[in-house]
Amino acid sequence: MRRWILMLSIVVLAGCSESQQEAGFAGLAGVAENDAEVPFLQPGPGDRLIFPDDFGPHPQHRIEWWYLTANLRTEEGEPLGLQWTQFRQAITPRPADAEPPEAADWPLEAAWMAHAAVSFDARHYFAEKLARGDVGHAGAQAQPLAVWLDDWQLEATSESESWRLQVAADGWSYDLSLSINGKPVAHGDNGFSAKSADGEGSMYFSLVDLHIEGTVTLGNETLEVAGKGWFDREWSSQFLKSGQQGWDWFALHLESGDKLMAFQLREEDGGFRSGTWIPEDGEPVALQPSQLRIRPEEPDARGFPRLWRLEVPDYGVSLEISAPPGNYLNDGLYPYWESPVTVAGSHSGEGYMELTGYGDRTLSAYSTAVAPIRWMLRSAPLNSSSSVRRSPEMALITP
Amino acid sequence: MTLLAALFSHYRRHPLQLLALAAMIVLATMLWTGVHHLTSQARASLDQSESAVAERQQIARQDGKPLTVEDFVELRRAGLCVMPWWEVPSRQGGRVVGIDPLAAGCFESPDSEEAPWQGELDGRPFIDISEAAKLAGKNEGGLTLLISDPHIDGALPEGYRLAPFRVGPDTGELGDSFLLNLDALGVLVLLITALLVRSVYLLGMAQRRDSFALLHRFGVPQARINRLLVVEILLLALLCIVPGIWLGRWLATGLGSGFGRALEGLFDQPLYAGQGGNWLVPLATMLTVVLVACLADFLRPWARAFAGSSRRSGGLVVLVLIAGLALSAWVTDLLWLFIAVALVFVAAGILAPRLIAWLADWRSGHDRNLQARWRHREVSVLARRLALPLVALQFAMAMVLPVQALVTTFESTFDRWLAQRLEADYYIEVPESADATLAVDWLAEQPELAASGLWHRVIRGRATLPGNGDEAGTEVDVFAIGPVGPLVTDWQLLESASRPWQRLQQGQGVMVNEQLARRQNVQVGQSLEVTLGSGSFEFPVLATYPDYGRPAGEILIHPSVLPEDFATGFQSLSVSPGNLDVEEVTGGLKRVWQVDELTVRDNRAIEELATAIFDQTFLLTRAMTTLTLILAAIALLMMGWVFFSTRAWYFRLLVVWGLSVRQASAQLIRLSVSLTAAITLLALPLGIWLTWVLVHRINPIAFGWSLPMAVYPRFWLELGVLSLLIGLSIGLLMMRQLKSPTVAPVNANALAGGER
Repeated sequence: MRRWILMLSIVVLAGCSESQQEAGFAGLAGVAENDAEVPFLQPGPGDRLIFPDDFGPHPQHRIEWWYLTANLRTEEGEPLGLQWTQFRQAITPRPADAEPPEAADWPLEAAWMAHAAVSFDARHYFAEKLARGDVGHAGAQAQPLAVWLDDWQLEATSESESWRLQVAADGWSYDLSLSINGKPVAHGDNGFSAKSADGEGSMYFSLVDLHIEGTVTLGNETLEVAGKGWFDREWSSQFLKSGQQGWDWFALHLESGDKLMAFQLREEDGGFRSGTWIPEDGEPVALQPSQLRIRPEEPDARGFPRLWRLEVPDYGVSLEISAPPGNYLNDGLYPYWESPVTVAGSHSGEGYMELTGYGDRTLSAYSTAVAPIRWMLRSAPLNSSSSVRRSPEMALITP
Repeated sequence: MTLLAALFSHYRRHPLQLLALAAMIVLATMLWTGVHHLTSQARASLDQSESAVAERQQIARQDGKPLTVEDFVELRRAGLCVMPWWEVPSRQGGRVVGIDPLAAGCFESPDSEEAPWQGELDGRPFIDISEAAKLAGKNEGGLTLLISDPHIDGALPEGYRLAPFRVGPDTGELGDSFLLNLDALGVLVLLITALLVRSVYLLGMAQRRDSFALLHRFGVPQARINRLLVVEILLLALLCIVPGIWLGRWLATGLGSGFGRALEGLFDQPLYAGQGGNWLVPLATMLTVVLVACLADFLRPWARAFAGSSRRSGGLVVLVLIAGLALSAWVTDLLWLFIAVALVFVAAGILAPRLIAWLADWRSGHDRNLQARWRHREVSVLARRLALPLVALQFAMAMVLPVQALVTTFESTFDRWLAQRLEADYYIEVPESADATLAVDWLAEQPELAASGLWHRVIRGRATLPGNGDEAGTEVDVFAIGPVGPLVTDWQLLESASRPWQRLQQGQGVMVNEQLARRQNVQVGQSLEVTLGSGSFEFPVLATYPDYGRPAGEILIHPSVLPEDFATGFQSLSVSPGNLDVEEVTGGLKRVWQVDELTVRDNRAIEELATAIFDQTFLLTRAMTTLTLILAAIALLMMGWVFFSTRAWYFRLLVVWGLSVRQASAQLIRLSVSLTAAITLLALPLGIWLTWVLVHRINPIAFGWSLPMAVYPRFWLELGVLSLLIGLSIGLLMMRQLKSPTVAPVNANALAGGER
C-alpha cells in the first residue's frame, strides 16, 4: 500500500507544475484513458483476500507490489536495515485467466520495477532495476511463490513457509532465508485498505512476523545477519486523491511482541490516517483515523523529518520514532525515503519508515530520469476502467 | 533624388544584372547548404552511432543459431546486463533499431553522456522493440544482444560467447571517403560561386563608375559611397542567402531519404534526420564568400595592384603552378595535398585567360587573313576582360570531369564487385554446430545440382604475414574456396600467372586482393610466406583480384591447403541451385546437419537493392556538378552578352568596312566559340590532373585504397558540345545587337574596371 509514495511523488510534482493530478508509480497514469474492452478492476469495501492466489500477480489491476523490509543484526550485534520491493504497473489490463501475449513480440502491456536497499553503519546502498512485462525476465507467480526481475528473486523453497531472497547489485548483494510465522494480516476492511475519507483504496495484507537470516555482502565484507522482517502485498487500480501531498508510513515491531502499521496521506487540511494494531495475542484491529495521531518533529536539512511521534491512545501507545544518522534516500527513478527506525516511549522496538513528498529532490530527479518511461506511455496508450467505482475528484487523466 | 536612389538606380536600369547576381547567390547558397546539411547529418550520425556502440560487445550463441527472446531472458536471469538491439527495415524505407528502454537501464552510467537511445524513441533511428517486432513480422533473426562492458567479467552461461559489435561491416573508411569527396565538391562550388558573383558584380561596378564619379563631383565623399556599396551588397547577400538556405534545406530533405538509404546501404550508416546543419554555418559561409568576392578590392587594395602588374607576376604564377604540381606529386600529407590543389587552381585560374590572350595575340601576328587577325585580337581582349567568368567555367568543367570519371569508374567497379561477390544465387551460413564436410558430400552427390547448378564452400579465417625485422606480422583474412568453379573463375583479375584458377584448385598457390598487393607490395609470381594455424607456409602468388575499397588484406586459397589446426571463423555455402529448387537444397542441408533453421540469403535481391541504392548515392553528386556547370554556363553567357554588347559599336564597324551582316555575324560566332572552346581545352588538362590527384593521391593517402583511374573522352566531347552551345548562344545574341543601332562606343576598359 505504501508504495503510494511513488504516486505521491508525482502528485507533488504535478502540484508544483501543472494542475493537480494523480499518477502511477511510473507516472504511467498521466497519459490517457480509453475505452478498453477489458477494464481495470478496482478494489472496494467488501472485496476479500484469496490465498494463496493473492500472493501472485493481478494483471487486471493497474498497480501492485511485493515489499519486504527487515530489521536485522550482524553477528556483532550492529543493526542493519534491508529492503526489497518489486512493483508491477499494467499498461493494458488483462483478466487473470487470460493467456499472456507472446514473449517473442516483446509486448508492452506491463512494466516491472525492483528496488533493493541496505542500510548499515550510517551508509545506504540502493539499486533499481526495470523490465517490461511478459517477456520473461521479470514476473511473479503465486504457487510456488516466485517474484523475479533478472537475477533478483524471491522464491518459495522446498521447505514449507520458507522463502529465499537473492539480490545482487553493483558492489553489494544479499542472500536471505525467510521463515514465515503467523497468518497473513488483512488491513482495513478484511483486506480493503481505504486511502481517503471518500473510500478510495487498495487491497493490502502483510506477513508481519518473518524470521530472516542470511548474508549481506558489502564490497569485500560479508556479514552474517539475522532478524525480523515485514512483508507487504498490495494492489489497486486507483491513484491517490488530488491534493494529497505526501505519504508517511510506519511498520513497527514492538518489544512487547505487538506490531503496528500506521500511515498518513498528508493534505493541506490534515489528510487521511489509517493503521492496524496487531497484538501479540488476539486478532488484528483496524485503526480508524480518529484513533491515530502521527506528527513529525523538525525536518532535517533535506526536509525529511527523522523524528516522529505516533500515538494510539486506545491501546496506550505513545511512541517516539527516530531514524538513525545517515541519508536513506532511495535515489532511483522516483526518490523517496526508506529507513530503519528505532522506537522509544511507551514501547520500545524497531521497524521501518517510509516518507515521500518532502523537499524538492523528487521534482528534479523525476524530470531528468523519467524520460524512458514517459516514452513508453506514448507508444502504448493506457487502458483504464470505465466501470470502477470512482468519485468525481478522482480524475486521473491529464489532458 | 536622394543619394541612395541615385546609387541604386543602376539596378533599375539593369534589372537583369541584379536578377543574375541574386539568382547566383540564391542557387549557390542552395547547393552548398544542401550539401553541407547532408554531410553534417551523415557525419553526426556516424559519430553518434560510433559512440552508441563504441567498444561494445554482443552475445552470440555458440551453436550459431539466431538469438531469440528466450536467450535474452536466460542471460538477464543469469545477471548479465544485456539489452536487445533489433535492426529492422522501416516502413518509410531505411532501417530502424528496436530497443527496450527498460532493459537499457543497466547500460547507463552516471558520469557518461546520455545514451543515444535515451529520451524520445521516435524512429530516428530507435523505436520500441515491440514496434520492431511488428515490423519484422515473421522474419526471425536480426536480434542482437548487446552486453554492457562492466558486466562481462563473470563467465557467460554455457552455450554463449562474446563477439564484437558494430553497427555494420567495417566500411567507415568508405563512408569517410564519400563524405570527404562531397566536402571537396562543396568547396569547389564555393570557389566557383565566388568567381561568378565577383564577375557579375565587377561588371556592374564598372558600369556604375560614371555614376560614382558624378556623385563624387557633387560632393559625396568616396568613403561614403564605399560604405553605401558595402551596405548594398550586404543587404543583397542577406536577402538572397536566407531563401537560398531555406531552399538548400528543402533540397537536403528531398534528397535526404535517398542519400540516407545510399549511405545506409553502402556503408551501413543510418542517416538520422533532423541532426546536423544549422542556419548559422551556411549563412556565415555564404555571406563571407559573397562579401569577399565583391568587396575584396575595398578590403585589399594591394590585390588590385598585384593584379595590375600582370607581366611581372606572370613568372611568379608559373612558379606557383610548378610548385603546386610538384607538391601534388610528392607530398604524403593530406593537408599539403589540398594546399597543392589550391595552388594549382589559383595558378591555372590566373594563367588560363592570359594564355588564351597571349596565344590569340601570337596568332594574330602570324595570320595573313585580316578578318582572322581581327578575330584573334578580339579574342585576346575578351579573354582578359571576361577572365573571371571564363575561369569559373574552366573550374566548373575541371570539377565535372573527375566527378564524372570517378562516379562512372565507381559504378562499373561496384557492379563488377557486386556481381563477383554475389555470383551464386543463394548464400547459406553453416551453423557453428554443423559439419560443413557433410554438406559438401551431400551437395556433391546431387546429380541435378551437378548438371545444372553451381556451388562452393567458403571457409573464413585469419592468417598472418610475417613482419620485417621487429615489425609485428600483418593479419589478413583468409577465404578458402572449394571446389573452384565458374562461380569464381569469372572474376576479373588485375594480374595473373598462367592457369591461376586451375592451380588454385590444385592447392598450388594463393590469390591476393588488390589492397594486400598494394600495401605489402606483393607481386604475382613471387612467393608469399603465410602463417596458417601454427604452421608457416610459402605459396606462390597466382593472381591479384580487385576488391572495391576493402581495406583489409585478403588471401584466396583452396581448403585442402588449410592445416588441421586452422581456426575456422565462419563457414558458408554459395549455391546456384540451377534446375533444383532452393527449398530442396536447404531441406537437404537441414537434414544433413539436423537443424531446424538455416540462414539463407537471396543474393539476387541483395544485388538489386544494392544497385538501386547505388544509383541514389550519386544522385546528389551528379545534381551538384550539373547545377554548378549550368550556373557557370549561364554566368558566362550573361557576361559574354553584356560584354559583347559594350563592343557592339566596334562590331558594327565590320559592316561599315564592307562585310555583310551575315558575314559579320559569322565572325562574331567564330569569335565567341573560339573563346569558349579555348577555355574548355584549358579545362581538360586541369580536370584530368584533378582526377589523377583524387584517384592516385588523395584517396590512397586518406583511405589507403583507390579505384583505377579511367578517362572518358566521350564525356570530354559532351563538354565540348556544351561549350560550343554557350559560344553559339553568345554569338546569336550578338547578332541581335548588330541589328540595333548604337549611339556611341562604350569604353570597354571602363567596363572591365580599368583606369579611365
